[in-house]
Amino acid sequence: MTTAPVRAPLPRLLRSELRFMLRRPRTLIALLALAIMPVIAGVSIAIAADSMGGGRNAAIEGIASMVEGNGMMLPVLVLLLAVTMLLPLIGSMWAADAIAGEAATGGLRNLLLAPVSRVRLLAVKAFGVATLSLLAVVVMAVVSVLAGVVFLGGAEMVTVSGTTLPFTEALGRVALLVVAVTVQVWAVAAVALAISTCTDHPLVVLAAATGGIIIFTVLGEIPSLDWLHPLLLTESWEAVADVARDPLPMNGLTEGFLRAACYLVIGYSLALARIVTRDG
Amino acid sequence: MTIDPPALSPKPGVGAGGLSGVRRRAVTHDVRADEQVNSVAGMTMAQAPAGLAARTRDLRKVYGRTVAVNHVDLDVPVGSVLGMLGPNGSGKTTTIRMLLGLVTPTAGTVELLGHPLPDGAAAALPDVGALVESPGFHPFLSGRENLLRCAAAEPRLATGAMAGAVDVALERVGLAAAAGRRYRGYSLGMKQRLGLAAALLLPRRLVVLDEPTNGLDPAGTREVRAVIADLHDAGTTVLVSSHLLAEVEATCTHVAVLHRGSVVAQGGLRELLEAGSTGLLVTTPDVTVAVNALRDNRIPARATPEGVYADLTATTAPEVVANLVRAEVAVHEVRRQRTGLEDLFARLTENDTVHHRLSDDGPADVLDEEFPR
Repeated sequence: MTTAPVRAPLPRLLRSELRFMLRRPRTLIALLALAIMPVIAGVSIAIAADSMGGGRNAAIEGIASMVEGNGMMLPVLVLLLAVTMLLPLIGSMWAADAIAGEAATGGLRNLLLAPVSRVRLLAVKAFGVATLSLLAVVVMAVVSVLAGVVFLGGAEMVTVSGTTLPFTEALGRVALLVVAVTVQVWAVAAVALAISTCTDHPLVVLAAATGGIIIFTVLGEIPSLDWLHPLLLTESWEAVADVARDPLPMNGLTEGFLRAACYLVIGYSLALARIVTRDG
Repeated sequence: MTIDPPALSPKPGVGAGGLSGVRRRAVTHDVRADEQVNSVAGMTMAQAPAGLAARTRDLRKVYGRTVAVNHVDLDVPVGSVLGMLGPNGSGKTTTIRMLLGLVTPTAGTVELLGHPLPDGAAAALPDVGALVESPGFHPFLSGRENLLRCAAAEPRLATGAMAGAVDVALERVGLAAAAGRRYRGYSLGMKQRLGLAAALLLPRRLVVLDEPTNGLDPAGTREVRAVIADLHDAGTTVLVSSHLLAEVEATCTHVAVLHRGSVVAQGGLRELLEAGSTGLLVTTPDVTVAVNALRDNRIPARATPEGVYADLTATTAPEVVANLVRAEVAVHEVRRQRTGLEDLFARLTENDTVHHRLSDDGPADVLDEEFPR
């Protein structure tokens, strides 16, 4: 009999998981789509500047009207648009594949039999989803900056407040934006991962995440439910556009971080509670 | 001798269904009783080595209102090749999943390589290779990539040794040539082989194979048999589930028969088969003389194509031989009538009425008392 149980080295497991996720065709297609979107936005704004500003949302409209000739504002616009649906959905897709999808193919069983303990398994999966979510936001931001500078010009950021930020400071604002958006995506993905541990059908996870985001958005639009609004994750998403203000207002962003942290804790707690008893 | 002769008629269909099977549970514990007969048949008993590689006690799993597994006491002796037989839905896979800690039992205990599960999974599972249900691989990765992913999770495999172990395993199951192809394009048999390769990534003390020959062609089936034989020779304990009787008969030293979630018989393959036979086949040219001699001594006998069949329900094999010799019958060969595993299996599993109390909470042994006389 051996003394203490040996375990596979964690870095090896994490590397294997990332490698596996990055080889997945749907991951590559999603990242490619995310990279193309800012290019299309940049080109179309450069060609037909006047047609912009039709957004239903005041924050988006405000940013959109400022993008022309102000390339460093493009990442703000693109990520503000993407954080409301596209990025959370892609994060949910990875969360859906991570547990439910793996359970459907039987790959989860292979890992459990190796054995990888269930807590470790969840940690590895959460790491993979979080890393790819970050990668997705970074890809969008980097391509947006490039597309903005190339197609729209302007190495400085003219803020919503009317001031002008030098390029390096503008880049810092974009980096802050990436962090703010990523944390929101992580929060959605954490809840999606919790749903993912409860089912063998990745589609259920995606449907639940989509439905959840739509319901939260609708609830957020109903003024008589304003007592409920502080609980809605979607309420913080508009605040990511605050990075385009000068001086930088931190209230909205901080609130968004805290709200997302609550969802992260709730999501991962539920996922952990479920995965330890789940049938493999 | 605990065998109830009328219940163990060698003629298929005459035995009273599952009835004789339950009786057989008692028989297998009483190995000595068969020794005399076995020496006549020229067979040696395969005595199970000491120790159990896996053990379940009173195992039970309930899904909602469905009882999947009930009161399963399974013993997998170290070094044995145990065939788990049962019709579809008899609880084979559920039992295996509980044995491997994938599913938490509703009640009962599991011990795997001396470690209680599910808590001891981290200690026990590195020494266990398993292929459970369909192999779980990803269609967009090549066979080698899929195995590398499994290898990365193997605690006993050093990072530097992963690639080598994967190649050896691929070679062993005959997939080396297709290792670079995507799993998507694999045939059912190749998928099954890859699953087998994952179970054999490194030397194991116990290998669990759930329906390993599913989807394999005859050549593939033979290869799986060869792999099982190799493992057995190397001292590895093998637990293989199947509904293919020929496969079990060809590869296993021990058998456990599951039916409707309960073990209805288990023990050494030979013991089970021998216990099911109550007749002696005598090869002789003097058929008429032999039959008459036996009948004169009140031993039921009849002519068969090769000689004489003597019923042993009221007598013993030496008695029969002595009678024949006294009658100066030329005896060329005497052997025990062997029940095919198929007959045994059919008797154990086809009579459902005996086992209708599966969902009861009472002990499974209650079945022993339920024989219609």
